[in-house]
Amino acid sequence: MFVENLERGFYRLVKHDRCLLLVNFDVDAICACKILQLLFKYDNMMYTLVPVQGVQDMVRAFEENCEEVKNVIFINCGGTLDLVELLQPAESVIFYILDSHRPYDLCNIYSEDQVRILGKPDEDDEIPEYNDVFRDDDSSDENETDEESASDRSQTKRRRLNEEDIVKRAGRREWSEKRATILFNYTQYSYYGKSSAMIIFEMAWSMTKDNLDMIWWAIIGSTEQAILGKVESRLSVLEEGFLQAHVSRLTHKKGAEVDKQQQQQSAVKITYDKDLLLVLYRHWTVEDSLRHSVPTAVSLRLWSLRGEQRLKGLLADMGLPLAQSKQRFSAMDLALRQEFKQMVEKLAGKYKVDTIIGTSFTLQYGYKFKYCASDIVYAMLALIESSSKTKLPQGCFLDALDCLSRTKKDILESGIEKAKLMLKTVFKTAQTILQLKEIRNTGSFLYIIIPEGSAGNFIFAHPYPLMMLAQFTLKAYVDSSKNRRAPELPLVASAVYNAEERICIMIGIPPVCEDQPRSLFGRAFEQAAKNTNSYIDADYFDSTIIRLKIEERPKFLDALASLLA
Amino acid sequence: MYGRKGFKLISELDLYSDILPFNVGCMIEALIKEVLQEMQSLYDANVANSNAIRNDNNMALLPSVQLRHIALKRNKRCILAYIYNRMRKLKELRWELGSILPPEINTNLINAEVQWFQSYNKSLAKYMRSLGEDHGFNLTTNMVPPKTLYVEVKCVEDFGKLELDDGQVILLKKNTYHLLPRSVCEPLIRQGILEHKKYVSMEFPSYEQETQTIQLRSIKSDD
Repeated sequence: MFVENLERGFYRLVKHDRCLLLVNFDVDAICACKILQLLFKYDNMMYTLVPVQGVQDMVRAFEENCEEVKNVIFINCGGTLDLVELLQPAESVIFYILDSHRPYDLCNIYSEDQVRILGKPDEDDEIPEYNDVFRDDDSSDENETDEESASDRSQTKRRRLNEEDIVKRAGRREWSEKRATILFNYTQYSYYGKSSAMIIFEMAWSMTKDNLDMIWWAIIGSTEQAILGKVESRLSVLEEGFLQAHVSRLTHKKGAEVDKQQQQQSAVKITYDKDLLLVLYRHWTVEDSLRHSVPTAVSLRLWSLRGEQRLKGLLADMGLPLAQSKQRFSAMDLALRQEFKQMVEKLAGKYKVDTIIGTSFTLQYGYKFKYCASDIVYAMLALIESSSKTKLPQGCFLDALDCLSRTKKDILESGIEKAKLMLKTVFKTAQTILQLKEIRNTGSFLYIIIPEGSAGNFIFAHPYPLMMLAQFTLKAYVDSSKNRRAPELPLVASAVYNAEERICIMIGIPPVCEDQPRSLFGRAFEQAAKNTNSYIDADYFDSTIIRLKIEERPKFLDALASLLA
Repeated sequence: MYGRKGFKLISELDLYSDILPFNVGCMIEALIKEVLQEMQSLYDANVANSNAIRNDNNMALLPSVQLRHIALKRNKRCILAYIYNRMRKLKELRWELGSILPPEINTNLINAEVQWFQSYNKSLAKYMRSLGEDHGFNLTTNMVPPKTLYVEVKCVEDFGKLELDDGQVILLKKNTYHLLPRSVCEPLIRQGILEHKKYVSMEFPSYEQETQTIQLRSIKSDD
């Protein structure tokens, strides 16, 4: 069931008991969780937070912590699964789901009390009617009694009964056929809904407990969705406007309170301004930032030798000396730094990189702390995915959580360095793939397989770098390909997950032409696995990411090709 | 030069903030022995000289006697200061860690210090029992008034189940995050199982400083 009034239907109910927070490994979830943590802290509510990476992780965390817990809150996890079936909770336990993954599982939607989904159903969700999917009279029971009574009765009546039976059965068959198509239409595409951090922020706002920290976290949550292309660009623009209104309201409120103390005004400031959407450019060199931003890299075709020349040409047109472009942005000449934005804007049209001119939120705290929302998103993504043999993923999660508090600047800085490394690896790998023309076309979709063994490729065992690589290569391919159908093709990328156990990770992304980023790979993977009898491990909450055995990969891709053809 | 060893003893205090071993055969013990030997030789020389003064009335020896005497007194002060500082550290530890010292500190103590610690414990406990109504009053908790009753903590090590005062059971596993009552957390934070997380609000950036100055002011007015 949906809970539309979050304050009454969620917050006041969980307020009196200890609750368990299960949080998925993504930036939006971390932001939502951070806002909730602060609210809980204001109200002295005890909680336990457990980061969960996949379905198995979630089940384990629930089993370990379910003792005496009445309220379990799932952030960006669990909405797409039948939780009651999966976790077998005690009657008194109530699940609250805050999940941006779509579509929701129907059992969660139509659960009367135990499962509560926070937020409104979207119009786009097209949730099937209850009666179309569930039948209140238990059909199997009816069947049995029917058959029993039929055998009891005399032979003469049998014929008539049979007729009745046939009618009934036909009705049932029709109903179940209809149900199958409805279910198929509903679960065909997997996509993302509104950012969870935004939903929680709105709740905090309605309780008038919001502050600038919270709006900042909400901004980061929704920026992540925009950067990773999880939602339509149209929606993220609308969200931005909404956030901007909140920012000015909160800044104004704060300004009025401490009008006399002008110093405090300069302490924390969130500004919304025209900005260049180049990755991390304030913390990197201009050249590197231009090279590793997707829009510039794609339109200038930077993976080729000619592309390098074009980049030099752009820098020359801008009037930026090469020596300057190769040093940190913060160390560039002041005059050049101030003009940088205008220089790029002027030339954006000529080099077809209009998309890099946009707007962004920037947080300034004191004199040294100035970060734009996307900087923090990249840093957090890199931190989340920085797990290694010596560092547990949960530790990385908590690092990313710390990265959001303004006092932990060192963690944020290390995250930004890691993000640079990640972007460099993504770019280099994409470059090799594009130069060697390793993108295979099956007719219905494209696929790339990242070769084993080369240094730095271990980061592609994590879903987000792989997703970024897939999106970059797809855009580059579409831009440079002569194939007219290229924009309509989705892409599947696969990399080694665990070399010793011979397991690979596979991810599917929707085609470029589609405005709504809905991916049909979730269901397609499932079906292909069924057709080939291969075992896939769909442990991730995003159903378009799976793991399977490397030996079974070619067979699996063949099956996928024949399925989508 | 006289008194150099004594000075080394004092500089040892400055170099190491924790309590060094004080047993037979350790560096400190050897150092103290050397100081004592020096004192003994100074004393012997003084006795010989003062006898000479008394018997022969040889006043020329008087300044050297005085010099040795000052050196003697200085050495004595150094040794006493060393011992006193160790005692003060033990006292601090009593307030920080409670009545039972961890074994790594306990092995570094000599018998007299152990005895002193026990008697200090006893008198402190006696005093605390006399406060309050029935059960006494533990002075060592909340030396600074807590700002919140609940604290955010991160679990750094696997601990297992923890029962709260109201009977709720919480599983403390590595890399989980909790908001728990301060009184329950404090011993665990000291043991290094939990890690305290602080949040500085944007709205009141100078809140912490303010409370500190208020505390200082109240201390000053008490004086």
